[in-house]
Amino acid sequence: MSTELFEIDTEGVDVQRIMAEIQETVAAKMKSGAYAGAQLARAERYNLMHMKKDENFFEFYMESLREAVFIDINDFEIRERRTAFAPLLVKLKKIIWSLLKFYTYRLWSQQNQVNGLLLSAAEEVDRKYREKIKTLEARIVKLESKLPPG
Amino acid sequence: MSTPPRIAFVSPRFSEGPTVGGAETLLRQLAERLVSKGWQVDYLTTCARNHFTWENEVPPGHTSIAGITVHYFPVDSGRDLNTFITIQNRISRSMELTRDEELSWHHNNVNSQALYHYLKTEGHRYDRIVMGPYLFALVYFASQIHPDKTILLPCLHDESFAYLKTVREMFLNVKGWIFNSDPERNLAQQLYGLDLAKAHVVGMGLNGFDTNPKGFRQRHHLTTPYILYSGRREPMKGTPILLDYLDIFRERTGLNIKLVLTGSGTYDPPTRLAPHILDLGFVTEQEKHDAMAGAIAFCHPSVNESFSIVILESWLADTPVLVHGAGDVMPDHCRKSNGGLWFRNYPEFEEALSLLLGKPSLREAMGKAGKDYVQHHYSWPSVESRLLEALR
Repeated sequence: MSTELFEIDTEGVDVQRIMAEIQETVAAKMKSGAYAGAQLARAERYNLMHMKKDENFFEFYMESLREAVFIDINDFEIRERRTAFAPLLVKLKKIIWSLLKFYTYRLWSQQNQVNGLLLSAAEEVDRKYREKIKTLEARIVKLESKLPPG
Repeated sequence: MSTPPRIAFVSPRFSEGPTVGGAETLLRQLAERLVSKGWQVDYLTTCARNHFTWENEVPPGHTSIAGITVHYFPVDSGRDLNTFITIQNRISRSMELTRDEELSWHHNNVNSQALYHYLKTEGHRYDRIVMGPYLFALVYFASQIHPDKTILLPCLHDESFAYLKTVREMFLNVKGWIFNSDPERNLAQQLYGLDLAKAHVVGMGLNGFDTNPKGFRQRHHLTTPYILYSGRREPMKGTPILLDYLDIFRERTGLNIKLVLTGSGTYDPPTRLAPHILDLGFVTEQEKHDAMAGAIAFCHPSVNESFSIVILESWLADTPVLVHGAGDVMPDHCRKSNGGLWFRNYPEFEEALSLLLGKPSLREAMGKAGKDYVQHHYSWPSVESRLLEALR
């Protein structure tokens, strides 16, 4: 939920200042965990291609993915929104759930394995490239230091 | 008495009735302004209306529309769609292509031999030939016929197509360029190293209009705040981003904000959001302007805009805009006008929209700043003088 962290003076609007304040607020909220979770990661599925230049956001996305990667396959409280016949409907849902459990557990646990492997692969690729870039940057600095001044 | 200058516009489609698109609208508007200045204006286009099927729907021939002589030519049959799509997919993934492969892509794109033949035989009668947008083979091949009098109006975006060797050749082969904005011109300069003396930023003029936001709300039984998007609904325009973001926004904030859509194209909204979308499809200009005036903000989630007429219209309706920040053009309009905010990811979208929802005085001030910007930079007299300079 968005809460106001800054005051905007509407006299003589300066959108660059407003945007800077928005970005500061977002950074603070991300740090506090207000913008974490599977839901947020899902919201970016069509926006990923536009984030190539934003390294910090990739880190945030990977963090969200880590939270979302494993489907909760445990038993959960079965409820019914409709008031009429609610106890009966809950009972029925519980029966269906217990009958299907042997199958869905197998299916979802395999899905969790696949998700976990994909996440590990993405993390490994990210780690390797970061290391490679770091090494190359260090090499550039070293080579540049050997250049004659001017 | 001297003969009035004669000019041809060349574009794959002519903006009329259900045939809409920013580039087509822009070219037609510029053509109409030249008619009003006494120029003889021809518009060479294809018989197609639909930019997905490119089916010949309009009969070939010529007709006069708003003082413009519009010549319709049939789109060639026999496109090898498999080859076209295969190469296009490779371009989209920024894969390296040979020049022959690029040419094969152009040959299997939208072409009209009849139009090329007309330009070859009649082109000498025109003083200037303005053509666009850049990524259609029709423009690529037509630009080679009379390059010495061809002005390209590319509507260029920073996308993989802009990096093709043949596109670069086309840019460097013509007499000059008309761009819609400074960021578009800067992009072309960066990609192709253009001679800036021949590059003109013109844009499109917009006239003010009256609006009735209350009437719009009443007609559509809207009792809650809404954001608006007008235009084509497709992934290239960022529609799925807007749908996902608004769905999450509603859930996270608990605010009942609706989405009003006008325009064409199909989309697949999240189930929870679907009941909160009012899709009006094609509407009249007046209805669109009323919708703009009643909105909390006009939201444009596309990163591929070279001008964006709709955000300027939204400012004329006193409504601020919320645009995707990954593009160059729309955030540039926002910075220069102080009329809009931008977002690069969901958290920024949530903060910006929350701010606009919670601050009516800010919305009002931003809408006014945007309107001042449009009236100053995009009034027809200032656009006309830039256009005439570009055609000299």
